[in-house]
Amino acid sequence: MLETKDLLKQMIQVSGLSGHEAPIREVIEPAWKPLTDEMHTSRLGSLHARKHGSGPAPRPSIAIVTHMDAIGLIVKQIDSEGLLHVDQIGGLDPRVLPSQMVMVHTQGGDLPGLLVMPPAHCLPEEDASGAPQLKHLRVDTGLRPTAARRQVRVGDLISFASKPVELDGDLLAGHSLDNRASVAVLTEALRLLGRRKHAWDVWAVATAQEEETLFGATTSGYALRPTLAVVIDVTFAKSPSAPAHRTYDQNKGPTLDWGPNTHPKFHREMEKLAKRLEIPVQEAVYSKSSGTDAILLQVTVEGIPTVVVGIPLRYMHTPVEVVNTKDIERASRLLAEFVSALDETFMDKIRLDKTDEN
Amino acid sequence: MKEIIRQLVETTGPSGYESDVRALVKKMLKGQVDSMKVDALGNLITRKGKKSKDGLTVMLSAHMDEIGIIATHIDDNGFVRFTSVGGVFPRNTAGGRVRFLKTGQVGVIGMESHKNQSSVPGLEKMYIDVGASKRSDVKVSVGDVAAFDRPFEDLGTRLVSKAMDDRIGVAVLMEVMKQLKTTPHEVVGVFSTQEEVGTRGATTAAYGVDPDLGIALDVTLTGDTPNADTMAVSLGNGPAIKVKDGGMISDPRVVAWMEAGAKRARLPYQMEVLTGGTTDARSIQMTRAGVPVGCVSIPCRYVHSPSEMVDYGDVQNSVKLLLALLSKPVQLR
Repeated sequence: MLETKDLLKQMIQVSGLSGHEAPIREVIEPAWKPLTDEMHTSRLGSLHARKHGSGPAPRPSIAIVTHMDAIGLIVKQIDSEGLLHVDQIGGLDPRVLPSQMVMVHTQGGDLPGLLVMPPAHCLPEEDASGAPQLKHLRVDTGLRPTAARRQVRVGDLISFASKPVELDGDLLAGHSLDNRASVAVLTEALRLLGRRKHAWDVWAVATAQEEETLFGATTSGYALRPTLAVVIDVTFAKSPSAPAHRTYDQNKGPTLDWGPNTHPKFHREMEKLAKRLEIPVQEAVYSKSSGTDAILLQVTVEGIPTVVVGIPLRYMHTPVEVVNTKDIERASRLLAEFVSALDETFMDKIRLDKTDEN
Repeated sequence: MKEIIRQLVETTGPSGYESDVRALVKKMLKGQVDSMKVDALGNLITRKGKKSKDGLTVMLSAHMDEIGIIATHIDDNGFVRFTSVGGVFPRNTAGGRVRFLKTGQVGVIGMESHKNQSSVPGLEKMYIDVGASKRSDVKVSVGDVAAFDRPFEDLGTRLVSKAMDDRIGVAVLMEVMKQLKTTPHEVVGVFSTQEEVGTRGATTAAYGVDPDLGIALDVTLTGDTPNADTMAVSLGNGPAIKVKDGGMISDPRVVAWMEAGAKRARLPYQMEVLTGGTTDARSIQMTRAGVPVGCVSIPCRYVHSPSEMVDYGDVQNSVKLLLALLSKPVQLR
């Protein structure tokens, strides 16, 4: 797990915003290389790596899907003072943005910048109190207007510059833990599978564009045609003033998410295994949409039986997201155990029409 | 090109009812492309060129449909209630005229009593007055579709009409298909349907064409009018190379290829980051195992109003940019 924790710290220090995943893909690639047998990048920039199973070919496959893209900002206009007006990539909480340190990724290299807001008395009356809207925020790079217009272009990306911080009690804080904490789960599961026999092929998938379009997941599903898919994404952990019935505990294991994107029998099998192995998991329920790659992945081609695993995360979509590394360990162990238990009877076990015949 | 644009924008074709536009495009492109076919959703798929060793199948998509309205109810006094086909803004609607496709019946959009001048009532408070004094005089049935009625005006450098979104893209694509002489690519010009109701035509067209690269040709908003929302796109500053919109992130390799192509051809261009809205490129990108996509946008003021305005120079430069891009092999990196 130590190695994976170092990898996770590395992963939350690079950008890789939705649609522009190259920087994070280049960190994941070398980490997965020794753990898998073949690897390629999809036409949309998702990373696919296969670890061969020991069963007779053609083998069924399970895809473990974690999105690697991050939320951030994009330059919308450069004004006469050389300040950058911004738009968002993914869903940002504008309440936490003022006074953040950011990095502007220009064609000529990275420029540090500050997300700033005008003093309240300079804002229109209706915007003077409460959290400023994104349209009032600027990025100040310190560049003079002519230099700003020369070095920065409309469409350049801006990512958070906060560094990882280790807090007491196995907690790690930083930006983009959504969803690189799950990439760490998948990486650790691959490492555990290196020491265990598994009959099925495993596709490790780091998807692009989850925060914007979910297109990475559906195009990878189309390309790989996995027999089963597990989507791992972060979920809301208990945090100050957050109601208990809408959040999950940290350090009590991953959530197994029950709802329309979840294949019911596949879900129950994972639940049973967790119970048998005494790996702590939490039951979670979503009413309509899981808010993850599973939304589109489930309905790709002829349909892919999919389950959703959640990693409880505090302060989601802020630059100080917090994860408990114990939950990462537990989720990776559950996944590795699940994969190695897959045999030729599994698909029959989860057939939805089975009870019809009895 | 202006006469072609006039004919295109003055033809009516709300989403799902594009047949008149398609017939006109077919007629105008006759003998100018290698092949033409119409698919199950009504997309007109035209092809030119053969895919050489370093060539790609490139799908260009411009949508034929425009926003419009559809009749939902006719009352005893002959007033027609309606709902929208695509994104019709109520604020651009009252006082306007519509023309029904089937009968050519013209009507005026009226509004129930509305005292509060600071708000705009929804379409459910509006009706169409076709000039009838009783129900039996009305030549409109529930389900009949109408388009906004507003003629083309040539203001010199700027052109204005209803349905510039996206007949101007259709005009650019037609011109590209006509003028394209040598290309290493198989260029597939798709005149798509149902864009305004969720980029639906392009979804099936892209599945059928299975392209290596997709480019949408559509209008985008501008930030160059009084007190406009922030946007670094102006009429007359050249075609806009889309980086992102409300439903799609352009492939960064395609963006870089377009920027380099514009620079090499010494054509003006601008970078586009659009907060809302999307184009056919969204549907092309998610097709099958994914398609690298981009979008060349024609800057347009007052989009989704009956008076959409574009700059003729931008239109011509969009044609030149696409021809320059398609005449050489594509390297995406």
